[in-house]
Amino acid sequence: MLTRPNPSVVVFFLIFLAVLVALPFVAGTYPVKLMTRVIILATFVLSLDLLIGITGLVSFGHGAFFGCGAYAVYFVSPESEAANVFVALGAGLALGGTAALVVGAFATLTRGFYFIMVTLAAGQMMFSLFHDTDIAKGSDGAIVNVKPELTFRGASLLDFSDWHQFYYVCLLVLVASYFVLFGLVRSPFGRVLQGIRANEVRMSALGYDTYRYKLAAFTIAGMLAGLAGALFASIDGFVTPELLNWHQSGLAIMMVVLGGAGTLYGPIIGAFAYAMLEEVLKSASIVGPLIADHWRLGTGLTLVVAVLMSPDGLAGFLSWKRTRVIGDPSDAVQGENVSSRPARLAKALLTKGLSKNFDGLRAISDVSTVFAANKVHAIIGPNGAGKTTFINLLSGAVKATAGQVLINDQDVTCWPAHRIARAGLGRSFQLTNIFPRFSVRENCALAAQTHKTSLWRLRDRPYQGPEARAINRALSVAGLTERRNALAGNMSNGEQRQLEIAMLIASGADLLVLDEPLAGMGPEETQRVVSLLRDLVRDHTIILIEHDMDAVFAVADTLTVLVQGKLLAQGSPGEIRADRAVLEAYLGRRAEVGAVA
Amino acid sequence: MNTMTGNVLEARGLDTFYGASHILRGVNFRVGLGETVSLLGRNGMGKTTLLRTLMGLLKPKRGSVMFQGREVTGFRASMNARAGIGFVPEGRGVFPNLTVEENLVFAERPGPAGRVDWTRPAIYEIFPRLAERRKNWGNQLSGGEQQMLTIGRALLSNPTIMLIDEATEGLAPKVRDDIWSTLRMIREKGVAIVVVDKNIDDLVELAERHVVLAKGEVLFEGTSKQLRADWEFVSRMLGV
Amino acid sequence: MSLIFIQFLNGLQAGLLIFLAASGLTLVFGILGVINLSHGSFYMLGAYLALTLTGIFGDVFLALALGIPLAFLCGFLIEFLLIRHLYNRDHLQQVLLTFALILVFNEFQQVVWGSYPHAIPAPSYLAGSVSLTEGMSYAVYRLVLMAICLGLALAMVLVIQKTRVGRMIRAAESNREMVEILGFDSRMIFRLVFAAGTTLAVTAGMLAAPIESAYPGVGDRVLILSFVIVVIGGIGSIRGAFIGSLLIGLADAFGKVFMPQFSSVMIYALMALVLVMRPTGLFGRA
Repeated sequence: MLTRPNPSVVVFFLIFLAVLVALPFVAGTYPVKLMTRVIILATFVLSLDLLIGITGLVSFGHGAFFGCGAYAVYFVSPESEAANVFVALGAGLALGGTAALVVGAFATLTRGFYFIMVTLAAGQMMFSLFHDTDIAKGSDGAIVNVKPELTFRGASLLDFSDWHQFYYVCLLVLVASYFVLFGLVRSPFGRVLQGIRANEVRMSALGYDTYRYKLAAFTIAGMLAGLAGALFASIDGFVTPELLNWHQSGLAIMMVVLGGAGTLYGPIIGAFAYAMLEEVLKSASIVGPLIADHWRLGTGLTLVVAVLMSPDGLAGFLSWKRTRVIGDPSDAVQGENVSSRPARLAKALLTKGLSKNFDGLRAISDVSTVFAANKVHAIIGPNGAGKTTFINLLSGAVKATAGQVLINDQDVTCWPAHRIARAGLGRSFQLTNIFPRFSVRENCALAAQTHKTSLWRLRDRPYQGPEARAINRALSVAGLTERRNALAGNMSNGEQRQLEIAMLIASGADLLVLDEPLAGMGPEETQRVVSLLRDLVRDHTIILIEHDMDAVFAVADTLTVLVQGKLLAQGSPGEIRADRAVLEAYLGRRAEVGAVA
Repeated sequence: MNTMTGNVLEARGLDTFYGASHILRGVNFRVGLGETVSLLGRNGMGKTTLLRTLMGLLKPKRGSVMFQGREVTGFRASMNARAGIGFVPEGRGVFPNLTVEENLVFAERPGPAGRVDWTRPAIYEIFPRLAERRKNWGNQLSGGEQQMLTIGRALLSNPTIMLIDEATEGLAPKVRDDIWSTLRMIREKGVAIVVVDKNIDDLVELAERHVVLAKGEVLFEGTSKQLRADWEFVSRMLGV
Repeated sequence: MSLIFIQFLNGLQAGLLIFLAASGLTLVFGILGVINLSHGSFYMLGAYLALTLTGIFGDVFLALALGIPLAFLCGFLIEFLLIRHLYNRDHLQQVLLTFALILVFNEFQQVVWGSYPHAIPAPSYLAGSVSLTEGMSYAVYRLVLMAICLGLALAMVLVIQKTRVGRMIRAAESNREMVEILGFDSRMIFRLVFAAGTTLAVTAGMLAAPIESAYPGVGDRVLILSFVIVVIGGIGSIRGAFIGSLLIGLADAFGKVFMPQFSSVMIYALMALVLVMRPTGLFGRA
């Protein structure tokens, strides 16, 4: 998760900031103008990092929102007067944000390659809008005759045509933007974004409506890009459609990666580094006329080499000390005494005639089952019987073709996964699905946060107490308290599965659906998880798929046998063991348990 | 043919990793000419990893694999296939967007020594259900039909040895019987077989030698007779 | 009335032409799983190749005779040198590296041919128009172009569905590992597919050159449109690319007539509409 930057980084930036503040006093107009551009560029690239580095959305049309912001100033600037500074900047923010909201609404429906292509196309659409039509003078570009000003009773407080004033305004915006984004990313809202980048499926299964969060991030980034664009318009007072061209967006992505995606400060360095590189490569007096003529090639190749050599970008170079995990505030809160957990009625689950077809293949046929509350129910059956498909139907990961799923009489059949999760169903996956690059505690924190999921949750304080207690309880029940600060990806397979269960407990789900929780575990680990499950039954209902027959017979209250998508039998372990049909289909015709050939 | 040991396939001291997980630990494994060997063990103990290492889909960190006396460690799977190793993986691998006929003929070729023991008409005779479904797409077949298809497809490349992972998993008993008799027929034709399955009784009948893997190590190796004699130990290891 | 029919023909012609490029892109996407931003650059190189070779041979079809094998070889080499390293990398890195490739190609184009647009003559025996009905005539070259594109589309479908190579490509798309297990080196198949993809783009560029002329930004437009078509049609689907191309071609042609300023916007609106209904395209797999 995003932590405070290392001391080395902080020192670097303090010095850097000091240099930037001092610049207008020691340098002439050209360097100040250049730096103003670069600072605005840095603000733009910073907004893109919110998407790429934090939320994992590789947006190829971000330049369009920058351009929108620039044009917004043109739209609000009167013919021969200066617009009000706040109006101009506000318009940029608003137009950039609105455009982002509209584009994001259908772009974030898609993922992966599609998302990249859609944002690229959307960006180009906006480019054509400004280039081909005459909303804003078309390809000739638009001129802002008088740059924005701020006046109060006739006295000029701010004038953007004053180079020095404008420079400091841009610098202020950059610094403020960084701190605002930093706070945003570290807030509960921002943690969800980081979770989405790490593992969107998991987040959905925990109960987060990831579409809304992605759209929110997209819009916020668009707003900031629009603000940067509005500042840009005031540099020369000239705006062209080229600002929205996808090549600009592509270069912006390069700067984010060059600087170090996800660090927020990294892309700022990336923007400065790129700008300096471009200046150097364009200057024939430094590199010679041959290179200067083809500076685009030079920058492209340099960027590629830089990206390939250091995946963490320039930020990686700066913070050479390993990022230490900051002590977490919940350390002070005492762990709850496990055995004092009261018994509580958990949820029951019912299916009626549940069926699922995949392109003509009947994966699940007409399955009607009952899973009573506060019991452990094991689902067994040969491979390919449809067990995983069945629990995908229960958790909403897959939509049923026919039939119903009811949780405590509530029909949840067509609900999306995150809504079913919020109804109290927590699931684990066949392949352990956690956040490997977050610590154990951070994993549980993301799960605990679902108690109060709201898009607008920016503050930790109101819920810190109860959530910390939920986390500690989950960790101690799952036996992971000592490992709270370990990196999840470094743990053994068995511990990761324990973590998955801990996350489900932390999220408050009391109907647990587990896909092969014991897979790949040795005997002691199996023992531990089995006793954990038997302990959890006090206040949870557990449905699990397992192949390990010893464990199944040890832990389950009921067995449900699925063969080729159909329900073969459901009953107590004793009943099932004696069931001839089950033996023949699954356990082996002559291999009755304990029999010798 | 390795004149020293007469083994078609031989692995020594195999150590295979999956990421950071140490799956195979110093595994020795051999299959003689025309021999049928069963590979037993609980889920996650390394059986599939062993087969994949033998096939060349995984590179072992240490150890060697020899095929007919020649070192093939680290060779690509496609090269091993052409040399005469047929692999029927778990999950079968039927191409869903090809017809049954197209699947079958995909790898049709004479064996490494030029022999053609298996032809398309012969396969259709052994598996009449496939003949009926020749024009169907791969994903329109039932589990049993897919299993037959993959076995038939592997046979059409006239291999010297077949590696079959979970031959009868998820199949109805009648279909399983068909598969076992097919394997018996393959054995009679002189093809060496390594078979992984959960049906111990059928395996004891089919295979001459049995190897039990537990946590990536060979814990037991012996004939069917020895397996029956040591049943208590073995059944504990297999979780039956 | 005749205007509408002419525009219909234009739309058809544009759609068929861009289908060549888009099909190459969707093949590379669907089978190799790589996002190749430099696809448009190959179209552009095709246009300039037509310029140079037509200058030498005097006839664009003779130019094609040399251009196609050249393009294939180039694609083969580029897959071997660069693309095959991208298979296991994440989307961001693929985007960056192929974007850098665009910069390289753009510079190359500038150095060799410069910034000014160049016209390429259509073959003399195909020059002029043919009379369709009373008062309506249409350029011969465009009609021939449509026929060629349609023919190539048919050939593509035949190759993929009926030949051994096509079988291997289809198999590799659904299960690359199984293809290896059955004794075929999938690396070669991938190399072939990439080379085919880029050759299609180059061919499209060469065929279009007499109509569009060669200028530096010609590849950009094709890239974006190809992306839109792949999104509409679904990644990896030739059928989807065909339908998408015709839709886009017709939308563009009619848009230019009835709403000239907003014709581009309309195309993207079409894409947005499809996405809302099916986020993975008309024929894409989830």
